[in-house]
Formats: sequence, C-alpha cells, structure tokens
Amino acid sequence: MTHVLAVHDVRHAYGDNLALAGVTLSVDAGEFVALLGPNGAGKTTLVRSIIGLIQPATGSIEVAGGSPSQAAVRRRLGVVQQDVGFPSTLTVREIVEGAAARAGADRGRAEEAMAEMGLRDLAERRASNLSGGQQQRLQLAMGLVADPLLLVLDEPTAGLDAASRKAFWATLDERRQRGTGVLLTTHIVEEAAALADRIVVLHRGQVVAEGTPAELKRTLPGRRVTARTSLPAEVLRAVDGVVSVTTHDGEVDITATEAEPVVRTMLDLDPATSDLVVATASLDDVLIALTDGEKELVA
Amino acid sequence: MTARAMWLEIRDELLGILREPTALFFSVLMPVGFYTFFAAVFGNQGGDIGTEAIVPFGTFGVLAVVLMNPGIGMADARQRGWLRVKRVSGIPLWMTVTAKVIASIPYALAVLAAITTSAVFVGGMQFEPAEVAAVYAVLILGVLPFAFFSLAIGSRAGTNASAAILNAILMPSAIASGLWFPYEMLPDIVARIGSILPTYHLAQLAMVPVDGGAWLGHLLVLAATAALGAIVATMAYRTARL
Repeated sequence: MTHVLAVHDVRHAYGDNLALAGVTLSVDAGEFVALLGPNGAGKTTLVRSIIGLIQPATGSIEVAGGSPSQAAVRRRLGVVQQDVGFPSTLTVREIVEGAAARAGADRGRAEEAMAEMGLRDLAERRASNLSGGQQQRLQLAMGLVADPLLLVLDEPTAGLDAASRKAFWATLDERRQRGTGVLLTTHIVEEAAALADRIVVLHRGQVVAEGTPAELKRTLPGRRVTARTSLPAEVLRAVDGVVSVTTHDGEVDITATEAEPVVRTMLDLDPATSDLVVATASLDDVLIALTDGEKELVA
Repeated sequence: MTARAMWLEIRDELLGILREPTALFFSVLMPVGFYTFFAAVFGNQGGDIGTEAIVPFGTFGVLAVVLMNPGIGMADARQRGWLRVKRVSGIPLWMTVTAKVIASIPYALAVLAAITTSAVFVGGMQFEPAEVAAVYAVLILGVLPFAFFSLAIGSRAGTNASAAILNAILMPSAIASGLWFPYEMLPDIVARIGSILPTYHLAQLAMVPVDGGAWLGHLLVLAATAALGAIVATMAYRTARL
C-alpha cells in the first residue's frame, strides 16, 4: 500500500514545552485514520506540521512523497482547519473559484466541488454570513477542488448538526473509496470508531496506542466499574488489572482489564459500597484510560 | 500558479475594498479635503501655490492609501485565519503581496483624480496635462515600496493595532516631509529629520517633472527603501503567527 502521509519521529517544542515527542504515523491511499487525544496532546501541532504551517525541530514528514514545506506538495492536500473566518467581502463561489485557481484546477471543478458539498444554492451568499456548518462544508469544498491525495481534517464536524455530519461523512467515505487518504482529528470518539480504519491515540506528544477500533477495544481495558465507596483511590489503583481511577463526589469510576477483582476488593474492604455498575468499556472509556493512565498502558 | 490565480487574487482584493469601502473613506477624504482647504485659502494669493500643492498633497494621498490598505487587509486576513488558508494552499508569498499592492493602485489613482478635480476648480490649476500625468506616474510607482512596510506591520500586529501603528508612521512622516505645510516653513530640526525620510524623497521626486532638478538621489533612496521593505516584509510574513 502506498503511503500518502509518512510522519517519522517528529519532535517539536514551544520553548520548554515539548508539544511533539517523537511521533511516527502513516496514512495509506484510501485509508481513513482518526487522530484522537485530549486537549494539549499535540494534535494541532502535528496537523500544522503536516500541512506545512510549522517546520518541526527534528524528524521528517512526507506528503505524497514530498515535504509539506514545498508549496507544490501542499497543493496536493485538502485541508479543513479549525477557527477559519472567511473574508466578509467574498461570496461562496468566489472563494471556491479562488481555491480552484490556486490548486491549478479549472472553474468547472469549483462548480463540481460546490455541488458535491451542497453549496450551489448558497453560491452567491457572502461566505462570512453562512452558518458554522455551511462554512465547514465550504472549507471541504475548497479542499476537494484539487482532487487531493490526502485530506487533513482538524475537528471538521464541530458545530454541525446530525444531518450535516452524516452528509459530511458520506462525502468523505466516497472520497476514500476513490483512493484519497484521510487524517481526521476529532473529540467525538464514537464517530471516529464508526468511520476510521485505524485510530491513533496521541497523548503528551506521543503515540500511546494505535490500531483498528476493534483492536483498541480488545487489547485495552475492557471493563468499567462505577460505584459509591469510601475507599481511597490509591487502594483501588493497587488492585490487579486496574488502569485508571477517577473520583467525583464520592463516586468512583474505574477502568480495568477485568471487573471481578475490583468488585471483590471493594466489597471486601468496604461493605457499604453501593450503586455498583459493571459495564463494557466504550472506546471513549479506552481513550480516557489511555490518556489518564498512560504509564501502565505504554509499558 | 497560473495567471488566472493571480487575477483572482487581485480581484478578491479589489472586491474587498469595493464592497467595504469605509476602511478607505478617510484615506481618500482627508488628503482631498486638506488640499481643497489649502488651495481655497492660499490659492488666490498669486503664483502657482494652488497648483504646486497638488504634489505634496497628492504624495500624502497615495501614501495614505498604500500604507494603510495592504497592511490592515493583511492583519485582518491573519486574524481571521484566512492567511493560514492561503499559505496552506501553496500560493506564493509574492502573489499575495502583489495582489494587495496592485489592488491599492486604483484607489491611489482615485485620490489623485479627486485632488486634480479640486485643483481645477479651486486651486487654479496651471500644470499641463502631460506634467500632471508625469507627476502621478512618479507617485504611483514611487509609493509602492511603502506597501512593503505596511505588509510587514500587518503580518505582526492585529487589525486595530496595525491601523494605529500605520497612522502613527504616516502622520509624523507627512508633516516632517513637508506634505502638509511647505517644507521651508518647518522648524530646522523637523526639516532635518524630514530630509532623511523616504516620504520626503518621494515628494521631491514627484516635483521633478514640473520643477526639474536632480532626481537620482531621490530615486536611490526609494530603491533602497524598496529593497529594505521587501526584506522586512518577507521576514515578517514568514515568521508571522498564523
């Protein structure tokens, strides 16, 4: 399989703050990779490095075989960024036409991209007057005019309603089937699990887990136990198989490879334990466990 | 990158000013208003004061447009995140800069046309049309180096801060260069400072088509200004926080 994105041992720091601590990942042609991680994990720095806005201190990034620091390589990327405000003076059509011209595509491609993203009826509207969801679709239309080899999407569905999200993902799926690689950052874990071929979990600038959604759920703590107990968190952390423990208002939330040792310990040491619930850990739980209890998992 | 991409960049910049002209309103109105006031007060005192004043006021007019517009536009695009989109798109820096500068030229010409109209009706215009055309050609070409400094400030400061900084550069430079008051009337220290400013040399170069005189020194100062401005603007843009 051909890599459309290859990131190798990338490190970057802002002063003393290490944002990326040796990240290696790849995206193949036609592959959909979701990049997950909490705020401050390094996702935005990694995305900015991939799209050529940041030159990482060390390591290498190749997009379709070239460095994203080269303008010609960046033209083979489709990008949806966070926090982009469109000029208040330009219409949707003018913006997509401009994107097509910069990508070396003709006006016909601009019309096609607008139609693909359902923007034809909005073509003469000022882009800054569009809703948040419409603006995200406009960004994706701009990204699609170049028929990119790689789409990099930074939280693209923030602010979209359910119907718009569904349409957005359908477009991406169609592109993926045509061979476009997709790298997505999102906070919506279940959405990533439903769409992605592979998930990469980033935490404190490092890849702490990688695999298909099913692999991640299988290899990582599969049970979640919640209860009301007076036991201190340190006691629970010492139980075999416990990966993470969080407490809030007397309620304890535990992620573990197995539930029985945890339940047994709680009932033995605190017979007053109540509201005991045992559930299968969701991917969301897995992510929280990974990013709160990364020492255990990385080891 | 194609000629079409370049044209669309220029078109976008022109539309930006046409559809929201208020940003340039004072840049156009102020020099024309100042000139008209000056010509109305002093134009009837004999000689060609009203006519010659179109050079300094015209210099101030084109400076106001070319200093303010590209930089404020750059700052606005940067704050919106639009400049980030442009950079990721792979568009070369020179295209972004050139489009912003070229888009300012029609507005600089509009200022000069308004001043000329005022000169005809109020200032007792005595220049030949060819002389006026030559003065304006010098002003339009000579003002371009100042756009680089405007873009450099817009690459680093916010929209409001850019407007404040650019005004803080424009107004004292205009006064010290003799663009608002005759240079000969300025206090010695101000005149000395003015004589080293590129704005002064632009005004002096623009006088050459009507007054004759040496031009090479003024041209060299503007060329050096252009070279320095290009370096400063490139460094500012490349290190800008997008």
